[in-house]
Amino acid sequence: MRLRNLASLSLSVLSVLMLSAFLFPIYWMVITALKPQRAIFANPPEFIPRNIDWSVWGNIFISNPDVPRYFLNSAIVGIGTTLLTLALAAPAAYGIAHLPIRGKGLIILVSLSSLMFPVVMLATPLFVIFSRLGLTDSYIGLILANTALALPFALVVLRPFFLTLPLQLTEAARIDGCTAWGAFARIMLPLASPGLITAAIFTFLFGWNDLVFALTLTNTDQFRPVTAGLWTFIGVNNTDWNSVMAFSTLAMLPPLAVFLTAQRYVVAGLTSGAVKQ
Amino acid sequence: MKQLRRDYNALNNPPKVGKNTFLKLLAKQWVNYSFVLPAAIFLLVFIAYPVLFNFRMSFQDVRAINLLNGGADWVGLTNYRTILANTVFHQAARNTLIFTAGSVLFQLSIGLALALFYNLEFPGSRWMRGLYLIAWTIPIIVVAAVFRWLFDGQVGVFNYWLESLRIIEDNIFWLSEPDVALGAIIFINIWLGIPFNMALLLAGLQGIPHELYEAAEIDGANVPQRFAFITFPLLRPALFAVTLLGLIYTFKVFDVVWATTQGGPFNTTHLVATLAFRTIFVQFQFGTGAAMLNLLFVVLFGISLLYLWNLRYEEAR
Repeated sequence: MRLRNLASLSLSVLSVLMLSAFLFPIYWMVITALKPQRAIFANPPEFIPRNIDWSVWGNIFISNPDVPRYFLNSAIVGIGTTLLTLALAAPAAYGIAHLPIRGKGLIILVSLSSLMFPVVMLATPLFVIFSRLGLTDSYIGLILANTALALPFALVVLRPFFLTLPLQLTEAARIDGCTAWGAFARIMLPLASPGLITAAIFTFLFGWNDLVFALTLTNTDQFRPVTAGLWTFIGVNNTDWNSVMAFSTLAMLPPLAVFLTAQRYVVAGLTSGAVKQ
Repeated sequence: MKQLRRDYNALNNPPKVGKNTFLKLLAKQWVNYSFVLPAAIFLLVFIAYPVLFNFRMSFQDVRAINLLNGGADWVGLTNYRTILANTVFHQAARNTLIFTAGSVLFQLSIGLALALFYNLEFPGSRWMRGLYLIAWTIPIIVVAAVFRWLFDGQVGVFNYWLESLRIIEDNIFWLSEPDVALGAIIFINIWLGIPFNMALLLAGLQGIPHELYEAAEIDGANVPQRFAFITFPLLRPALFAVTLLGLIYTFKVFDVVWATTQGGPFNTTHLVATLAFRTIFVQFQFGTGAAMLNLLFVVLFGISLLYLWNLRYEEAR
């Protein structure tokens, strides 16, 4: 018994070592942003910072006053994409799973195959179309483009969730006098909430992390999301690793917070949809 | 109750009708279709139409001047001829193959090793394996920034480690030396892909009934035998699916390369997707870029069909 405990404890130690090695880049990013400028170029490198210096965090906002704006833009685009995607995907996934409708197979096929498109392939025509319609440099353009990426994924994730819910529940509600939409909203939606949360998390992450649409559909700081803002920032402050790492850390925090609070939904979504952008 | 159920079924199962009565059916069952139509229209407008738009554009001479009014000349297969004769495109195509093969091979084998490891029960196993997914969650531009810093030629930590281990003698500028840049990018992409492979394979491993291992243990099978005769055969469908998904997702990678090297130095890290992006959004050669994307799409579509066919087979079982 004692031997078995020792063995499993050594597995834990090994696991800690492997995980630390794997996540080292993220640790290095954060502590680089916390070191004073001079300590960054120390040789040998300071793996555990001797002094913590927060000054660079303020400098980012002073040197580029648009940084808070980028975060606001990303939040608007991320949340807008999530709401639009769920509003379209939830009823559609329910309909595909439970209602007698023609063309279900086609919708699933289009969704599955569009997950395989290169994003650039969607960005090019959308750039041309949105330019003609005057939708570049607007929240609505970014939200529509990101929804085009997220909707197929949400359909693929949500359909199995609705399939597991018993059809009799809506039947009973219909007999009790509910309309089709009423039965969906009152009975099915609450039961499908784990699926909805999973889809919402993925959609938000797609929206926040997107770089291609952020680069192609925005030209001004007014609508530029964090990813494109960081891209521009790196271009200007090429070797100022201190502030590039601080900005990167900031850009990572919202998706990281979402992931850490909703970890089990992320794993569920990965395995049910088997999808990565 | 039984009668009610029968009535309900009769109401909901459409009778077999020809296509000309589709509209009648739609009118009768508009409630059912109202659930699906908004999403279907969105997919049509923002996915199907753009793909066709791209296809059409690849046969036109679309440039910055005639982009907005739509009056570009039809040029037949000229765009395709141009790229097939372009040596940079050849290089990008070759890079895409190397990048995909290298990334998928290592993501898969490291992901499998980690999945097997974290399938064991030990204190902390559950929450530690979840934390690998952090790499998958954060924006790729952030990952790119961090690795640019780690790979930095003058003060990067990678050089420091390799030099202390006496593997290299002089500083290497990982992302700006033509010989090593593609390798460095593949390294970054492997790091990014490990959590995804690991999570999917772990789910596959957990689907294997535990009783099988117990029975094998009673029958005297050792660990390699248990792996060869239980784990591997039962994991094969998951391995196949993960491999195909890995190929698809790696083949279309754009962000990782664009955010680190933008295809440089001297086009040595250009993939088809990044070259198409540069052709379109930097050089404004929309027609030529669209043709590149269509070629990429044809290959992706082939692998996707294989994946979908496999998915169907899996669901039928």
